[in-house]
Amino acid sequence: MIFSTLEHILTHISFSVISIVITIHFLTLFLLVDEVVGLYDSSEKGMVVTFFCITGLLVTRWIYSGHFPLSDLYESLIFLSWGFSLIHMVSYLKFKKRKNNLSAITAPSVIFTQGFTTSGLLTKMHQSAILAAALQSQWLMMHVSMMVLGYAALLCGSLLSVALLVITFRKAIKIIGENNNFSFSFGKIQYMNERSNVLLNTYFLSSKNYYRYQLTQQLDRWSYRIISLGFIFLTVRILLGAVWANEAWGSYCNWDPKETWAFITWTVFAIYFYTRTNTNLEGVNSALVASMGFLIIWICYFGVNLLGIGLHSYGSFTLN
Amino acid sequence: METLLNPSKTPNLFIPKTHLFKPYFLHSNFNPQPHSSFNRRPLSITITCKVKTSQGRKNDGKNISKKIVLTDSAPELSNEEIKAKPKGGGKAWGVIKKFPKRVLAILSNLPLAIGEMFTVAGLMALGTAIDQGESPEYYFQKYPEENPIFGFFTWRWVLTLGFDHMFSSPVFLGTLILLGTSLMACTYTTQIPLVKVARRWSFLQSADSIRKQEFSDTLPQASVSDLGVILMGAGYEVFLKGPSLYAFKGLAGRFAPIGVHLAMLLIMAGGTLSATGSFRGSVTVPQGLNFVMGDVLGPTGFLSTPTEAFNTEVHVNKFYMDYYDSGEVSQFHTDLSLFDMNGKEVMRKTLSVNDPLRYGGITIYQTNWSFSALQILKDGEGPFNLAMAPLTINGDKKLFGTFLLVGDTDSSNVKGISMLARDLQSIVLYDKQGKFAGVRRPNSKLPIEIDGTKIVIVDAIGSSGLDLKTDPGVPAVYAGFGALMLTTCISYLSHAQIWALQDGTTVIVGGKTNRAKAEFPDEMNRLLDQVPEIVESSISKKPDNIGG
Repeated sequence: MIFSTLEHILTHISFSVISIVITIHFLTLFLLVDEVVGLYDSSEKGMVVTFFCITGLLVTRWIYSGHFPLSDLYESLIFLSWGFSLIHMVSYLKFKKRKNNLSAITAPSVIFTQGFTTSGLLTKMHQSAILAAALQSQWLMMHVSMMVLGYAALLCGSLLSVALLVITFRKAIKIIGENNNFSFSFGKIQYMNERSNVLLNTYFLSSKNYYRYQLTQQLDRWSYRIISLGFIFLTVRILLGAVWANEAWGSYCNWDPKETWAFITWTVFAIYFYTRTNTNLEGVNSALVASMGFLIIWICYFGVNLLGIGLHSYGSFTLN
Repeated sequence: METLLNPSKTPNLFIPKTHLFKPYFLHSNFNPQPHSSFNRRPLSITITCKVKTSQGRKNDGKNISKKIVLTDSAPELSNEEIKAKPKGGGKAWGVIKKFPKRVLAILSNLPLAIGEMFTVAGLMALGTAIDQGESPEYYFQKYPEENPIFGFFTWRWVLTLGFDHMFSSPVFLGTLILLGTSLMACTYTTQIPLVKVARRWSFLQSADSIRKQEFSDTLPQASVSDLGVILMGAGYEVFLKGPSLYAFKGLAGRFAPIGVHLAMLLIMAGGTLSATGSFRGSVTVPQGLNFVMGDVLGPTGFLSTPTEAFNTEVHVNKFYMDYYDSGEVSQFHTDLSLFDMNGKEVMRKTLSVNDPLRYGGITIYQTNWSFSALQILKDGEGPFNLAMAPLTINGDKKLFGTFLLVGDTDSSNVKGISMLARDLQSIVLYDKQGKFAGVRRPNSKLPIEIDGTKIVIVDAIGSSGLDLKTDPGVPAVYAGFGALMLTTCISYLSHAQIWALQDGTTVIVGGKTNRAKAEFPDEMNRLLDQVPEIVESSISKKPDNIGG
């Protein structure tokens, strides 16, 4: 009993802290306060607190249910938000000196993922369910954790590429970035790109083109590195899944939807790397491919589960 | 990292002691030899020298000779690197010889490869959108000609192109084969020459060519040998000849992409072998019965050949399930005994879902289960075996039922006692009117009285659903998996090359790298800061932080 209350407490703490952090980000945007550094520090501290809260949440669930907390969609979403906050922590610790653009992507991702999971949509799934026979294996830990970490990294990288594209084609798209009005009718991606744009406008009012070029270069490099990391995770996850399938179901390649879409994701990101080897296509084209990869990851993660068929039906749910 | 400067027999040539990558070199074949057919440089000097290594595991004591070619400029990377065929035969022979080269050139085109990968991805996506393996009538219904999707997509498209069995259809397999050949062509024409170029040690003799590198810097009042020491401390392999220096690090990063391609080809080959040479079969065996493996296994392709182990007889001793406290099933177990042709028991093992049985190349998996029969005593008579029929199957949730006739069996309106079960641990009984009568567990042996009939549930006999499989391609595929994981990780190592030239008292340094382009200048600056400055007047002071 104590574990479930602890779990509840941790969930609520992490959600509240995340909300505070994003509020701070909004404030820096709206009010353009000059002591941005102080607020930045506190938002970073907020992210650290969130990271520990989510870790505690996962550990509690693990102890309470007796199995690694990755057996259904709710738990994998919590793990995904943990993955995002982990990436944020690592990049924060490694590059203490300067603000990096990565935080613009990871922080809101954590918020929205966490918010979605704890929202009313999935209330049924909060309690930990028992594990089906096929999932009781050591492979579960390795395969699914690689999968979720890979998703976190690849999603970050793809979002950075989308940001790059938006910044490059800003004039063509005519985003409302000049003033600080933006409405939530745009998606989360637009929001983040506007943030980068607004940062660009406020801090570098002169020589816009040069700094925009610098920004796109930086985004490109960050995107490449994060996607490389995510690609390794994705490769390992596909191969571990195949080996596990061979142990459990008799064949390492069953062509069920989840596996097929994982393979499609891998192919698309392999195309991303190939376009980068040829320097003519580098930059915008590879960013296009990475943006496609963003959509494909969501199809692979959620879309297939909505169908609910095939051997991977553990994570399925129906929207009602 | 203790690399020392060790003067060898040839003067002016500092050959340092080696660390891990070196033995690779010493066994390799250095191509640029003046008498080979594909060396077209007009002026080349070959120097043979003897090298002793302390870590020569394979060549203890033997002296390996290496050839170092000094050129005036960096070697060109051109299409001439493709293996030049010997000039022989007549004109027709020449044309035929040219044909593979052109095909190779076409196949190794990068946009083509990218297009193929997109096609494969698109076909796979289509394969998940269209339901696979259904009968033609299903497709007639789903994609009718009167109302085509997107205006043109009807069942004709699906059936003629083989989209109903997408993953074994000629279109898909053809694209995969094309992708495989592109991979091979690309490896041959692009990557192998890159490796040859990267491995060649070339010294740049002119300061201008060094300055043209991606990163270049000038160090006044320094000496090349100090730079060499610093670089060695940082893990580079350093070669000095007179005033010029060449250093590199991370050559494995150049080999790894080839390894990735080869690993993928290995996986594809293993997959092909599996598809054409394996046996598959599944069987549901009630507890207590046997089957022979060869009866159950059927071939999947033309390369399948049965083995001696197919004559083994499998006997199901017991099938049972574990349950959680809530009543849900947690695990399935089957206790199997294997007997060979002479009736001797060769193996006995209990299978469960993630724990298959392996014998003689054949693997048996626990994949399914069923309820075979219910053994009951009716009014003290029996035991009777009532066969259980599946009523609804919903994934892991199954429902079985059986029916016991009571009363007048000749009348047209037969009535009886129904017994339903979800699993092997509790049976629910209903009376003649269909009303709930009670629940009994098979081990309890408690009788239940329904409409005057006394029923005792003696035993619930389950049957185990087993899948059998033999797959010769699995070792190749697993080897490919391991290689792919390893080489993907290694291919992120960056291969950095540094050239330096001593020009009077200044040293001109230039370098380039293929991967971590952003950090390279920072790393170079850090290293160059450590090079001691030679003060003219007195002995050169060396700061304490020389790398080590």
